[in-house]
Amino acid sequence: MNQRENFQVMLDGGKPEFVPNNFELYKVCLLGADLADEPLTGGLDGFGVNWVVTKEGEMPEPNRFMFEDIANWKEYVHFPDVDALGIEEAAKIELADVNRDEVIIDVFSPTGLFERLAAFMGFENTLCSLVEDPDSCREFFEAFADYKITCLNRFIDAYQPDVITYFDDLATANGLFMSPAVYRSVIKPSHKRIIEAVTSRGVIFNQHTCGKCEKIIEDYVEMGAKMWSSAQVSNDLDGILEKYQGRLIVEGGWDSSGPASYNDATIEDIIAETVRCAKQYGPKGNFIFMPTLLNENGNAIFVGDPRLAPMIEAWHTMDKL
Amino acid sequence: MSKINEVKELVEAGKSKKIGTAVQVALDAGSQPGDILQAMVDSMSVVGDKFSAGEIFVPEMLIAAKAMSKGVDVLRPLMAGDNSSSLGTCIIGTVAGDLHDIGKNLVSMMIESAGFTMVDLGVDVSAEKFVAAIKENESVTLVACSGLLTTTMPALKEAVATIKASGLTGFKVIVGGAPVTPEYAAEIGADGYAADAGSAAVKAKELVG
Repeated sequence: MNQRENFQVMLDGGKPEFVPNNFELYKVCLLGADLADEPLTGGLDGFGVNWVVTKEGEMPEPNRFMFEDIANWKEYVHFPDVDALGIEEAAKIELADVNRDEVIIDVFSPTGLFERLAAFMGFENTLCSLVEDPDSCREFFEAFADYKITCLNRFIDAYQPDVITYFDDLATANGLFMSPAVYRSVIKPSHKRIIEAVTSRGVIFNQHTCGKCEKIIEDYVEMGAKMWSSAQVSNDLDGILEKYQGRLIVEGGWDSSGPASYNDATIEDIIAETVRCAKQYGPKGNFIFMPTLLNENGNAIFVGDPRLAPMIEAWHTMDKL
Repeated sequence: MSKINEVKELVEAGKSKKIGTAVQVALDAGSQPGDILQAMVDSMSVVGDKFSAGEIFVPEMLIAAKAMSKGVDVLRPLMAGDNSSSLGTCIIGTVAGDLHDIGKNLVSMMIESAGFTMVDLGVDVSAEKFVAAIKENESVTLVACSGLLTTTMPALKEAVATIKASGLTGFKVIVGGAPVTPEYAAEIGADGYAADAGSAAVKAKELVG
């Protein structure tokens, strides 16, 4: 089986021939997000938020807020004209020379509902607003979901993707930022609309949430997400893989805070973590390996690293089911 | 309910719009400013414990800290020059190369709520800047260094080593952040480690008190 055929078996809840490594599974498409959500090389986005580039990726400039009271959001938030973004041109550039028969087209949609509000008003103001003025938050999320859905429909038209990966980091290493009740009451209704907009077009929805978010995995599945990344080890991955077999593909597994992610991790450390992921999660059949290899220049996948090849080689000795 | 208990409950519930009046009512009823402050510190200790235990989440902790801050605003003019309840100054920052501030900000709020005067150096703070801040500020009893990323753990190590090698004394150094473990904190020579903002305040009091 090639990557596409193997992935389809996983989606159908069957037993794949091998456990995919996400480095090899996807053609990841980022240029649409660069235009609609966050500029990959930093600078102002379409809303006027300034992004700074770090070794790990771009982030809103710290302590520079567009507004601090959610009740005022309409005065400050002006949605970009989606027609003028140039998504179609971006898709042509990114899909040139891509063999759709072999790889999975995964279009990234970063800066989800919570992250977007935090980009405008900072994490602390956002988190306080969720409990102090939930009505204004809901109103903002509904409006932003409208924008997001318009963008996602354009992504789907232009890229014809297999997967949309929607990013919203709702959790810390210790647990959700907000209680499940607050998530369900304030964020989830708009989140649900976004997921349904994607799945109703026949595209697989991959929910990306870092941190310990296991308390709302059921919500993700119930809303129609078929995949969850970057499933981190702070969650009960064994239990989640078991519970959602045939319903949810779990992409992650790598201990991104552990020794294998340290700058000075040896090839032996990295191979040991690779083998652990393969043995512990691979046999479940609904797992995609998502290593996070970092060095002093940033993420190895973007900046290169001599430890990558031995890691991939080690994976290939272990990935057969 | 006594007026001072009302203040405690309002802090715990994060009612920042009501706290100012409640503090004033407690003062008018004869409570001493120091006692009211201590009641609020005690409330935040409860909040920190509940957060560490997973009973409440970040927003609830934030609004409690915000409420305490509003209450302290009412007390401040009455307590000018009175440092009897202060645990000293805490220098805090996210280490060089790391721009993440939410964890650092939460820890800062909770340590402040425990009775420290905070000097927040922000993000991407070099080891030398930590040392300079210790020299520039009076009564520094605690230095808190944060790092979210595995890639900035070497900067955390450098910050602790530089602070310790500076020859300056009279303070403890605590570290924290997602990839930091108690073992790593000990290995790099930190005096303390905390897994979250609530336990950071407990650890700070334990080290300094």
